[in-house]
Amino acid sequence: MKGRAGRPPLWSYWIVLPAFLLLWAMIAWLLKSPLLPTPLGVLDTLIRESVSGELWHHLGATLGRVVVAFVLAMALGTAIGIVMGRSPTTNALFDPLLVLLLNLPALVTIILMYVWFGLVEVAAVMAVVINKVPNVAVTVREGARSLDYRLEEMATIYGFTRWQRLREVWVPQLFPYLMAATRGGLALIWKIVLVVELLGRSSGVGFQLHMAFQVFDVAAILAYSLAFIAVVQLIELAILQPLERRSSRWRQPEAAHA
Amino acid sequence: MLELRIAGRNFGQPVLGEVFATIERGDRICLLGPSGIGKTTLLNAIAGLDKSVPEEAVIGRDTLRVGYLFQEHRLLPWRSLNANLKLVGASDQEARSLLEQVGLSGYGHYLPDQLSLGMARRAALARCLAVKPDLLLLDEPFASLDPIMAGELKALIAGILDSQPDMAMICVTHDGGDAEILANRLWYLDGKPARLQWDDQIGEAGIVEGLLGKLRRLDPTMS
Repeated sequence: MKGRAGRPPLWSYWIVLPAFLLLWAMIAWLLKSPLLPTPLGVLDTLIRESVSGELWHHLGATLGRVVVAFVLAMALGTAIGIVMGRSPTTNALFDPLLVLLLNLPALVTIILMYVWFGLVEVAAVMAVVINKVPNVAVTVREGARSLDYRLEEMATIYGFTRWQRLREVWVPQLFPYLMAATRGGLALIWKIVLVVELLGRSSGVGFQLHMAFQVFDVAAILAYSLAFIAVVQLIELAILQPLERRSSRWRQPEAAHA
Repeated sequence: MLELRIAGRNFGQPVLGEVFATIERGDRICLLGPSGIGKTTLLNAIAGLDKSVPEEAVIGRDTLRVGYLFQEHRLLPWRSLNANLKLVGASDQEARSLLEQVGLSGYGHYLPDQLSLGMARRAALARCLAVKPDLLLLDEPFASLDPIMAGELKALIAGILDSQPDMAMICVTHDGGDAEILANRLWYLDGKPARLQWDDQIGEAGIVEGLLGKLRRLDPTMS
């Protein structure tokens, strides 16, 4: 879960990424085609879009949709996942629907939402939420199934309220699953939001990519992609990783063994 | 105070037969019997943790506060000892004095898994006491402790029982010696399905000796 074995050392980023940049620059310099601008050309576009305010406007619109869709999908998916993991009846009732939704292409949901509810914000966010909820529910269900029965018995004996049980007993045990759902969730939601914007909104990174695509403005496409990657990485480093460190502190008690 | 009318419990084949008994305030019961006979099953049934035993089978439990010392500490591993005690209703002051009572002064901010087995079990005992129990259930409280720690815990529990004459206790154990120190009443669970073979008040030391002699003949492994 902590990726200790999987994460390569920091220096590899400082070698591989500049090397990739160099390779890109060389190929672009050799081809001299507007279809592959140089890194400097892309940087130029990025600065221009940023100064004009366009970049911030569209990035902000996308970020807003991601946040709303993410919060809704996590809340709904977690609730459904816990209930399904704890109650075999509910699981029997919802599991077939979950299988259906999990295999439904995101594009279909988006098109249907737009067709049924029009090209409005609510339809756009709903489409993203519907795509994400089944993933969260399945992940959290796994966690709810593995809840420690010994702590359940303890909570029963000591008369924990529903809220205490959720907050003190369940959430700490579900935390790794919630983190996995968050990780997978953000990655998926970012991408679906772009498609939603491309198909039916007039703001956001997806909309801008659509406009750039129509005039084959590759520099703009790459500039927005870079800005997008930067924001996603910033959220990972500034929010997700510190949260994970803080909440798994109790797992390393050797540090102060009595 | 508490009346047991347990009709039995099946788990594929019957595990527990009928168990009829009444428990009064101040009863200190040691529940003895061979390994795997269903002593913990009976304790869970009394505690209301066994969903296959109907609530009507244990008359009077609703009105009682129950403290249960499980074999594992079952404290919340992500909460400090203080927080664990406060979760079951202890105030700051009570948490401090309870930890002092079980010999863990100054450990309030420790996480349960930072403690040794014996300390964690004493912390769990402090949580049992935090609910001011009418009925204290102990499931092999001295298992897997070294003799010194087991002796300390035995003395601690004996002291608690002395200071709270109204509290009832049921203590699951393999060891007849525990009964000599803690009990004024002996339950012996045996048979297939398991039933209470004896339910005897212990009056004087002679009777204890007699009972323990009987036990030792039945189960030579018993120390």
